Amino acid sequence: MTNFEPDNGTSRDELVQRVALMESMIAEGRRTTTRYGWMFLLWGLVYFTAMLWVIFLPFRNWAWPVCVALALVIGAVVKWRRRAAGGTESLRSRSIESVWKALGTTISLFVVVAIATHHFDASTYFGAILFFLGMAHATSALILRWGVQGVVAAIWWAGGVACFIFTTPAELATIFLTATFFGMILFGLYAMWLERRRASAQVEQHA
Amino acid sequence: MRPRKWSNMPDELPELDPVIHGKLRLAVLSLLIGVEEADFSWLRQKTGSTDGNLGAQMLKLEEAGYVAMEKRFAGRKPQTLYRMTPSGREALAAYVSALKHLLGGAF
Repeated sequence: MTNFEPDNGTSRDELVQRVALMESMIAEGRRTTTRYGWMFLLWGLVYFTAMLWVIFLPFRNWAWPVCVALALVIGAVVKWRRRAAGGTESLRSRSIESVWKALGTTISLFVVVAIATHHFDASTYFGAILFFLGMAHATSALILRWGVQGVVAAIWWAGGVACFIFTTPAELATIFLTATFFGMILFGLYAMWLERRRASAQVEQHA
Repeated sequence: MRPRKWSNMPDELPELDPVIHGKLRLAVLSLLIGVEEADFSWLRQKTGSTDGNLGAQMLKLEEAGYVAMEKRFAGRKPQTLYRMTPSGREALAAYVSALKHLLGGAF
């Protein structure tokens, strides 16, 4: 912890200390405190559950609306609680959030319009959604300069391509579930592990 | 070789803005420059200062026009948010310039 006791601040050493203080605080301020890993895990589990419900359970028309509504409620509650705990907002964190909000709106519009107008070709439908997800991950990876998320984007894009090659319902479901497992659930768990590790390192630094 | 300014230090001191020169105030401004806005509790946690001390220093920065404060509610919990003003950014840039000038090649 930095000592903030008042001093004259006139000696050369003290001025050098001021420079060091500025450098450390600027680095501290830029270090992200926002945690996103849980959102990937949450949405991954939602995609997985909804898809399995569609395949194996009755009332399958309710699967996606129910699962998505549940995820929106859980997401809103967690975000509200985190916001109440305080923190910061940086241009970078707002950029990342904007990408995912725009993706959510795009997929919702796409799904609702496709169903409402009866333009439903399973291959195109799944392919488009996987390409959208790949684009959001890629944008986020470019903003964060994070190679791992770039690989995740490639997984989604590869899944999108596969949807146009393997077109039976069983194949499409397998592609979607595989991409969801690697591109959302596993990636979310990895991001959460990284965030926890960074948080512990910060606590040790402050102790 | 750049002239060393250190020998003239007492004459140069007025160049350093006294509002920014305080350690805690300098720490807060350095934190705020990297974010759009920050909550009081985040600033307190990052600087490791007390509520009273941080509150007093934030008031000085506010009075100087270097930070802007906004109070809002997150649910039922009140939040105090600070953001750096354009004049705060200019003042910090001028302070860094003055430091560079005083420290010469050591910066």
